[in-house]
Amino acid sequence: MTEIGLTWPKNFNEVPKAAFTRKDIYAEEMKRIFFGQEWHPVAHESELPNPGDFKTFRLAGVPLLIARDREGVVRVFYNACSHRGNQLETAVMGNKTEFECPYHRWLFDAKGDLVGCPNHRDFLPGFDKSDYPLAQPRFDSFYGLIFVTLSAETETLTEFLGDSQNSLRELLGGDGRLKLLGYQKVRYDSNWKSYTDNDGYHAPLLHQAFKLLNWQGGKGRQFAATKHGHVCFESALSVVSGPTVLKDDSLIAFKGQDPAVGSRIVMLFPTFVSTKHLDVINLRFATPIDEETVEVHYAYFAHQDDDEDMVLHRLRQSSNLLGPCGLISMEDASIFHRIHIGNHTPGNAIFQKGVHDQSKLESEFLQNDESGNLPRWEYYRSVMGFERAEA
Amino acid sequence: MMQTDTTLESALDALLMADASALDSKDMMGWLANYSEEDEASYICRAAENSENGLALGFMYDDCRSRLEDRVTFVNDIWVGTFQDYRTRHFVQRVAYQRADASTISMRSNFSLFMTPTDSGITQVLAAGQYLDTIRLEKAGALKLLSRRAELDTSVLPRYLVYPI
Repeated sequence: MTEIGLTWPKNFNEVPKAAFTRKDIYAEEMKRIFFGQEWHPVAHESELPNPGDFKTFRLAGVPLLIARDREGVVRVFYNACSHRGNQLETAVMGNKTEFECPYHRWLFDAKGDLVGCPNHRDFLPGFDKSDYPLAQPRFDSFYGLIFVTLSAETETLTEFLGDSQNSLRELLGGDGRLKLLGYQKVRYDSNWKSYTDNDGYHAPLLHQAFKLLNWQGGKGRQFAATKHGHVCFESALSVVSGPTVLKDDSLIAFKGQDPAVGSRIVMLFPTFVSTKHLDVINLRFATPIDEETVEVHYAYFAHQDDDEDMVLHRLRQSSNLLGPCGLISMEDASIFHRIHIGNHTPGNAIFQKGVHDQSKLESEFLQNDESGNLPRWEYYRSVMGFERAEA
Repeated sequence: MMQTDTTLESALDALLMADASALDSKDMMGWLANYSEEDEASYICRAAENSENGLALGFMYDDCRSRLEDRVTFVNDIWVGTFQDYRTRHFVQRVAYQRADASTISMRSNFSLFMTPTDSGITQVLAAGQYLDTIRLEKAGALKLLSRRAELDTSVLPRYLVYPI
């Protein structure tokens, strides 16, 4: 690994702004983090519910094809022909039981096996189709959430998730039996870390909607899980009381069964943010494009046991509440941009709320503390090999 | 083949221009005024990618008059001062229309939408796509949008949205 010159501040609550903007640091992050020992969520199985369904996704530039075969088994492949490496599937989603590369007409089934290739008598002596399946990254799943790792050395998915598992399971409807409602996709002018630092984390003063809607919150629990610094938020639902400024208050209504699991957020290092709030179930598949840009695919879900009315309620709430134009999240999107612009100035970003001692890391926080991000930053620093300045 | 009705076409174009003009001048009450007063008046903004795959989720899903009115509240009251503002310019062109019944017309139009954030000053395309409109011929002769679906070719937006498209 290349040594990158960046001295980290001695205080745990400070992050050098240069980490968000330097091209050399971004290149090293690709090696150490995105191609390193991390698991990256790329899809939920409910996005491809039927035999033959597939989805494509680029993880840190790497093209992936996630496909369900005729028997219902879901696999992840590199979306590149095993011959010359041509991009195999161009659609972002669809239904196919075979994938044909147009370049030399190599044909693969949804198990990844090469089932046809014209003129193979002209190939190398001893050519055998069985030697040329689609290549696959390591993948695993948790309640239908499919993770990929690009390193052979990564720990198991269970170890990676650690104590975040229960929050994540609850967020996935308790059993992972979800039904896809659709996507909101957007690129933000923001370094991927500015995005993850500020998505999920609650800044109640930012959101005028909270005040206008008489929305009381901030009483939940936030904790860090595993050495990776995953962050989990667990809070009972805080439902709007009293009159609101909205004429259609179904947007902020809760029709689910159990308010105790009304609000969950799970942020997994490096880029994944997921949330269940009111009746919205939202998985955000994010990937860096370059050091100045992150692309986020907000995928929204109902539960398979929902009746028709509940699906419609979730659809109406999901479309307008969260995401890049949601009532209570548009301002977050604006912050991603503005904080990234501000990070092109000298010095350190400083975390205050919830920090009790800047020389120590904690793992339990209150819901609105910004200090919940700090274990993740310490893990980032260690993976990147940045030395902390001496006290 | 419907006989060309230049009076009707002019009125349809005037409605398209009125909507573009209201949005480009950030006149949300003017935007709302282009919609029918009927309870089922709606505006849905959605990636065509979702629609084509049977997914109903939108970027904005205002499927009743109350939600249209709430959209005005979002922009005029709730979000004030929290975002990087941007200018928009809508370029709209009617492609096809047909009478559904005596008081309803369906219309399809293309749109392209430029945005210029006030901080960067750099103009770029925000979205392209088509409007799928249902238009009500009201008793006084006015045309109002009963429903509009902004169907976006742009499946990945280049930024967050404040204003309807």
